[in-house]
Amino acid sequence: MSGLSALGFGEGGWGGLLLLGSLMTLAVTLTALAIGAVIGALVAWGKLATNWLPRLLGDAYTTVFRGVPELLIIYLIYFGGSRGVSWVGSLFGAHGFIGLPAFAAGAIGVGLISASYQAEVYRGSFLAVSAGEIEAARAIGMSRWLRFRRIVAPQVMRFSLPGLGNVWQLSLKDSALISVTGLAELMRNSQVAAGSTRLYFTFYIAGGALYLILTTLSDRVFGAAEKRVAKSFRSGLGRG
Amino acid sequence: MDFAFLADTMGQLLAVTPLTLALWFSAISIGGVISCFVTWGRVCGVWPIERLAAAYIFVFRGSPLLIQMFLLYYGLSQFIEVRQSIFWPVLRDPFNSAVISLALCTGGYTAEIWRGGLQAVPGREIEAARAIGMSGFTLFRRIIAPNALRQALPAYSTEIVLMMKSTALASLVTVWEVTGVAQRIISHTYRTFEVFICAALIYLVLNFIIIRLLVLLEHRISPHLRVRPTVTPGAPPAYAAGPIQLPEVPK
Amino acid sequence: MTETPALSVVGIHKAYAGVEVLKGISLDAQEGDVISILGASGSGKSTFLRCINLLEIPDAGTVTVAGETIAMRAKRGGGQEPADRGQVDRIRTELGMVFQSFNLWSHMTILQNVIEGPVHVLHRPKAECVAEAEALLDKVGIADKRNFYPAHLSGGQQQRAAIARALAMRPKVMLFDEPTSALDPELVGEVLRVLRALAEEGRTMLVVTHEMGFARTVSNRVVFLNEGVVDADGTPDAVFGGGGSERFRQFVSGLHA
Repeated sequence: MSGLSALGFGEGGWGGLLLLGSLMTLAVTLTALAIGAVIGALVAWGKLATNWLPRLLGDAYTTVFRGVPELLIIYLIYFGGSRGVSWVGSLFGAHGFIGLPAFAAGAIGVGLISASYQAEVYRGSFLAVSAGEIEAARAIGMSRWLRFRRIVAPQVMRFSLPGLGNVWQLSLKDSALISVTGLAELMRNSQVAAGSTRLYFTFYIAGGALYLILTTLSDRVFGAAEKRVAKSFRSGLGRG
Repeated sequence: MDFAFLADTMGQLLAVTPLTLALWFSAISIGGVISCFVTWGRVCGVWPIERLAAAYIFVFRGSPLLIQMFLLYYGLSQFIEVRQSIFWPVLRDPFNSAVISLALCTGGYTAEIWRGGLQAVPGREIEAARAIGMSGFTLFRRIIAPNALRQALPAYSTEIVLMMKSTALASLVTVWEVTGVAQRIISHTYRTFEVFICAALIYLVLNFIIIRLLVLLEHRISPHLRVRPTVTPGAPPAYAAGPIQLPEVPK
Repeated sequence: MTETPALSVVGIHKAYAGVEVLKGISLDAQEGDVISILGASGSGKSTFLRCINLLEIPDAGTVTVAGETIAMRAKRGGGQEPADRGQVDRIRTELGMVFQSFNLWSHMTILQNVIEGPVHVLHRPKAECVAEAEALLDKVGIADKRNFYPAHLSGGQQQRAAIARALAMRPKVMLFDEPTSALDPELVGEVLRVLRALAEEGRTMLVVTHEMGFARTVSNRVVFLNEGVVDADGTPDAVFGGGGSERFRQFVSGLHA
């Protein structure tokens, strides 16, 4: 069949599958980013600590997850994770190989990677919060938790926005590697469609175009969000 | 800890490490050349060329490297015209295909980095050069380029290290480099953790060496950012030998 | 005086976003003239100076250096543009400019900054340029800093280096754009001393400045710009001593307030 009708939604058309793949890509990336946010915050907290041990652990984390190829990490989580799950299952009497669900493996893998980048973003944002504002909060007797909740955290989140936009784009593209687990996201579906129809060029172009749409839309969303946030600063994202 | 297994795995991985390095080095070399052209196009002032360069950067930065690689390796081979062309002997080889793909991708990212460097050159210094009659290629060569390259070096260092990680994707187009061999060992022995540690160690050591070299380079080209020197006593400067006749005030 | 003026500027007009900043300024500088250009902020004095070496392109008017006029041609959509970029570059080598923020090249040492123009624009032999550069740096008093980078020097030292850099081109006319405005007060004096020495040598200088003392005692002519036109032009005694306009007196008294 011709390339164009193969992309369609009708009988034998793969368009629908590609769109579903896009949705799956968004879902797994969002999940990964959420996982990464939690871990990233922890790593950032470690790197900002006065004690040398958390700092060392934090630095080790970022060194490993920024230095080792993403593909290797996904293999580790998927194959290693499956072994781990099988082992836990064997403790409860289950036999044989239990696979870690592809979605979970992918989200955890990309999540752990994004955590190292997010940690740098949060660390930078935290250091950018004016010491004077924290001092003022202490001077009126705010407790440490209250200071964090009312003064520090909101500012860190606002400063982090541009950096998080970058991490999102990065993770969106990294999610294509999750295809090796067989998860039906955009890359995998493009691969399946291409292999089935032998129209490799058509479907990889289509997949690439869909990724470009995703990254462009993300750019717009983050840009709009940054503009809304910037209204509260005197001169863009800075100390005015 | 099965040291025999670890040693054997390490041996297999080290055997293909030169291939990983070859992928990396070829990609950043070719990609570096490509990026110069793309950056030049991006700032050249001719609108259609600028748009074309911007589109190139957009496409290669906005889509995953993996799909670019598959497109080049599987996608092009689909066409009979390509298979019969003179490029086919080059393109059909997975290594070459992977290198071209990596180079095109890093070309896009690096072009943006150079553009950032160019924009960071202080306008005042360019103005001062113009004020003494400098223009054109001399201006670019003496004032703009040295400044832009220094400013771009940190970002470029990051990109080079990222490229090392990206070579792992070549394993998915049948290039048997470190990650590919590691995955093969895992799928045969199911000993994920041990193999991962061996492979990860290789990449971490390679990255460490590269970063050290880049830090050295950065240090050597920025003497103007280092600690202020003290005036060294020594041979008196030339003018101290006697008054030098300055040229007459021009009439 | 029937000699050719070192610099002759006729009818300079310049507008930004519809607002006319320079409304027809003309000025002749004979050799050896030291002209102080005064005016309130926004009066266009820096713009005027930058129109002389075409860092800004005047909408109308001509610039003539030592008898050679910079050729201009009409531009689409109004205004004008230089007809020959090569001529502009060449004339710029005859006009030395010193900027308010020094504008030294940060990746070069002071010595390299000073020889850059002579070696790479004028193509003079390097050894000769280095010798002359060292003499110039000695003249402005920072010879021992010649291997330092700009970032390692004080503002006053950087500005003196910038003056040496301009002198190295052996310019016919020197243009100073508020040379001391970016300096801490205690560093202003060392730069003014260099300017005075240059004036006493007989150099032709145009100095945009707020330093009234310099204007009164060192320059032989004072030009006061107000709202885009020349409001006063004469010797310091004439302009300062009650011959100046009402606006000029307001300007001066405002500075001393």
